[in-house]
Amino acid sequence: MSDDHSSFVEQSGASDDSLQQVHARLQENKPEKPQGYAAFPLVILGVMCSLIFFSSIYLAHYSAHFDPQIFNEHQEPSKGGPVVPVLTQPMRGKKVFNQICITCHQATGQGVPGTYPPLAGSEWAQGDEQRIIRIVIDGLHGPIHVENKDFNNAMTALGTTLRDEQIADVLTYVRQEWGNKAPPVDAETVTKIRAELGGRTESFTSEELLKIGK
Amino acid sequence: MNPPDNQRTEQLDIDASTRWPVLLLFGSALSWLLVGGLLEIFASIQFNVPAFLSECAWFTHGRLSAAAESALVYGWGMNAGLAFALWLMARLSLSTLRSGGWIMVAAVFWNSALTLGLLGIFGGANTSFELLEMPRFVTLLLLGSYLLMAVWIITTFSIRNTENVFASQWYLLGAALWFPWMYFVARTMLFTAPVHGVVQPIVDAWYVNGLYGLWFTPLALAAAYYLIPKILGQPIYDYYIAPIAFWWFAITTAFAGGARLMGGPVPAWVSTIGSVANFLVLAAVIMIGVNLLGTLAGRVGAAQKSVTLRFILLSVAAFFVAALLNLLLAFRGFAQTAQFTFIPVVRDWTIFYACFSTAMFGAAYFLLPRVTGKAWRYSSLIRIHYGATALGTIGLVAGLGWAGWHQGQMLNDASVSFDAIVNTLAPWHAFHTGALILLAFGHLAFAINFVFIACPVNSRRTPAAVIQAPPAMEGAKA
Amino acid sequence: MRNGLAIFCGAFLVLALSWAGVLLTAHRQLTGLAQYKDPAEDTLFPEPLNGLADQGRAVYQDLGCASCHTQQVRREGLGGDIARKWGDRQSVARDYIREKTVLIGTTRFGPDLRNVGKRIPEADYFYKLLCAPEATVGGVALAHGMPSFRFLFDLHPAIAGQPSVDAVKLPGASAVPAGYELVPTLRAKALVAYLMDLKDTYEYPEAHPFSESAKGEGEHAK
Repeated sequence: MSDDHSSFVEQSGASDDSLQQVHARLQENKPEKPQGYAAFPLVILGVMCSLIFFSSIYLAHYSAHFDPQIFNEHQEPSKGGPVVPVLTQPMRGKKVFNQICITCHQATGQGVPGTYPPLAGSEWAQGDEQRIIRIVIDGLHGPIHVENKDFNNAMTALGTTLRDEQIADVLTYVRQEWGNKAPPVDAETVTKIRAELGGRTESFTSEELLKIGK
Repeated sequence: MNPPDNQRTEQLDIDASTRWPVLLLFGSALSWLLVGGLLEIFASIQFNVPAFLSECAWFTHGRLSAAAESALVYGWGMNAGLAFALWLMARLSLSTLRSGGWIMVAAVFWNSALTLGLLGIFGGANTSFELLEMPRFVTLLLLGSYLLMAVWIITTFSIRNTENVFASQWYLLGAALWFPWMYFVARTMLFTAPVHGVVQPIVDAWYVNGLYGLWFTPLALAAAYYLIPKILGQPIYDYYIAPIAFWWFAITTAFAGGARLMGGPVPAWVSTIGSVANFLVLAAVIMIGVNLLGTLAGRVGAAQKSVTLRFILLSVAAFFVAALLNLLLAFRGFAQTAQFTFIPVVRDWTIFYACFSTAMFGAAYFLLPRVTGKAWRYSSLIRIHYGATALGTIGLVAGLGWAGWHQGQMLNDASVSFDAIVNTLAPWHAFHTGALILLAFGHLAFAINFVFIACPVNSRRTPAAVIQAPPAMEGAKA
Repeated sequence: MRNGLAIFCGAFLVLALSWAGVLLTAHRQLTGLAQYKDPAEDTLFPEPLNGLADQGRAVYQDLGCASCHTQQVRREGLGGDIARKWGDRQSVARDYIREKTVLIGTTRFGPDLRNVGKRIPEADYFYKLLCAPEATVGGVALAHGMPSFRFLFDLHPAIAGQPSVDAVKLPGASAVPAGYELVPTLRAKALVAYLMDLKDTYEYPEAHPFSESAKGEGEHAK
C-alpha cells in the first residue's frame, strides 16, 4: 500500500478456478510425503485421542451420572430413589416451634420478661411431661412461677391445631434445646393424655397442674 | 500461465450479479454498525454517569444495552455475514448469484423487522434473554427474511459450475443452515411454547454459544480459508486435514453452551458437558491453526502488505484468543473468579468483533472493488480504520480482561463492599467507552470510504479498480 | 468433501445431536420438577409468587435488570456468594419453578438479587433505592452506580394536610421539592413486590450434598 493518498485495490494472488482445482487435488490425493513434518497426521491423531481420553475421565467424574437433582459436580448421586432427609424428632419439633411458639417464647427460648415465660432452663419444660402436654393441648391461664419469676398471662390451646405427633415433637425439641436436658416425649403419651382429658376445652391453671404428676 | 480471458470475464459476471444485493446488505450493515456502536457507547457511558439518559424509560440501561447488542449482532453481524456469504458462495461455485432482487427485498424486510424489534425493546417489550431480547412479533419476520436470503447460498451451491468444493463453502453452508434452526428452536422453546424453570437459561446459553460458534466463527473461518491462499497465491498448508477440522469443530462447538452456566442452578452435567466440549474443540483449533498459520508461515511480510490480510491476521489471532478464553472459562478454578465479570463479555466480544468483524472488514476491502468496479478512494482512511481496529481490539481484550480478573477477585472477597467494586471498575468502564469511541472512528473511516466506492453519485470520481488477472495457483509441492 | 447432501445431513446431525443431548435431555429431566412437600409441615415449597409480584417479574424483565444483576447463588466453595450473604445455600432448579421467566443473568455489575427480599425486608428501602440510588443514608449510597428509575414514580403536587400514604421520602439532597410528593406507580409497586418476594429460604434435600466423592481421586486438573 503506497504512502500517498492514492486509491487502492487489493490484488489477488490466484484465480478462483485454480484455487479450487489445487485444493481439490490436495484433498483427494494425500501427498506421499505431506508438507512439513511427516508424522503430522499421527500427531493430530494422538492429540485427538488424548483429548478424548482426558475428557472421558472428566466426564465420568464430574457429570454426577446426569442426575438432574445434583448441582455440585463433586457430589455422588444417591443410590436408589429420591432423597428424603431423615428428620429427627427435635428437627420436626423445631419446625413446629418456629411456626407457632416462637412468636411469644422467642427463638432464644427466653420469652419476654414479665410477659411470656422462658423455656430455656425452665423447670416446667424439663419437668413432668404430663403437665406440659396438658398446657399445649388445652392452654394455660393465670399466674405461674417459672425460674424464680412470676408471669400472669394466657396461652392459647393448641390441641386442635396440632396433631399428637406434632405436640410430642415440639415438646421434645423444647426439652432438648438451649441447654435443656430432659427425656423426649412420645406421641403415644400425648394420645393417652388427650384421651384422659376427654373433651375438655377449659384451659389449665398452674395450681391445677402442680397437683398432677411430680 | 495466465488463465484464458473468458474465465476472467466469467468472474466479472459473477461479481456483477452480486453487486446490488451485496451493496445493499453491506450498506445496511455499516449503518447498523454505526448506530449500534453509538448505542453501545451510550450504554457504556451510563456506567460512569448513571444519570445519562436515565430520565426516559426508553433509554434505561437494561433496554439500551439490549438494543445495542441486538443492533450490532443482528444489524451489522447478520447483514455483513450474509453479504459476504452470498458473494463468496457465488465466487467459489463459479456461478452467478440468481434472484438478486429477492435478496434485496428480503434484506429490506430483515432491516425493517430489526428496526421494529429494537423499537419494541425500547418501548418495553424487552424479553431480557441474551441475544433474544427482541419481542415475539418480529420472530417470524426475521426468520422469513433470513431464509429468503440464505436459501440462495444453498441454491447457488447446488447449481455450481465446478465439481470442486472448497473448505470455505463447507463453513458457509454450515452457518447458513445452523442459524435459522437454532433461532427457531430457541424462540419456540422460550416464547412460543415456553419450557419451565431453569431449562430457559439452558436454551439461551445453547443459542448464544451456537450463534457465536456456529454462525459468526464459521463465517470468519470461511473468510480466512479463502482470502489467505487467494491473496498469497499459496495453497492451504496440510489442506487434507481441513474436513476433519470442520466436522470436529462443528460437533464440539455445538455442545459447548452449557459451560456458560457453570455453578448455576442447573444440573451439574450441563456445565460438565460444556466444559468437555470446550476442551475437545482444541483438536479442531490446532488443525485450523496448522492450516492457516502454516500457509502464512514465512509470508507474514507479504501478508502485512495486504490490507485484507492484515485484518485477517487479527481475525485469526482472535480465533485463538477466543478458544483460549473458552477453555479457561471451562475450568472451575478460573471460572470461579472470572464468571459474571468483564471476562465472559470479552470472550463474546472477541468472537463477534475481534474475530468475525475484522474478517468482514478484510473481506470487504477485497470484494467491494471487485463488485463495484471502483477502487478505494482514500488509503489514509484505510490506515485509520486498521489502526483504530487493531489498537482498540488489543486494548479492549487486554484491558478489560485484566479488569475482569480483578473484579472477580473482589466479588469473591466478602470483605470488599460492593461500592468499592463499583468505584474500582469506574475507570475501566471509562476505558471501555474510550475504546469503543476509537473503534467508532475506524468504522466512520470505513463508512466514508464505502460511500465513495459504493454510492453511484459519490463514486463517479472514484478511479476505476484496476484488477490484474490473477495467475493460476502453484500446484502442491511434492 | 463435495457432496452437498452429505454436508447438509452432517450439519443437521451436528445440531440435532446437540439439541437432543443438551436441550431435550434437560427438558425431560426438569420439566416435571414440582413443588416439594415438607414432611414436617405438610406445606409445598417454593411458594408461588403472589399476583402483584408476578407482575413485578414482568417489569423486571422489560426493564432489563438482568443485564447487570444475576439471580443465582453459587455453592460454598465456588466463589464468595455465600460469604457475601447473598444466600444461605446454593440456588437449585426447584427454586425457579415459581417464575414464568427465569432470568438468572450473566454479569454482576450489580449484586446478586436472588435473596434480596431477605436482605432488605422493607418496601420503603426499595422505593428509595429505585428513585434515588445515589442518595446517601448514613454516608453510604443506597446503590452506588445504579441508574435511577424515577420514571416509575409519579411526581405531583401534594395536597396540604393529606399526604399520600405511599409517598416516598427521600433523604437530604435528593428530597422532593416542597409542596410535591413522589408516589410509586403500579409498575413500581409490582417491581418492589417482586423484589421483596425474592427469597429462597427452604432447604430442599438436593440443596445440600450429603456425600462428596473422595477428594483424593477427584481433583483432576480442571
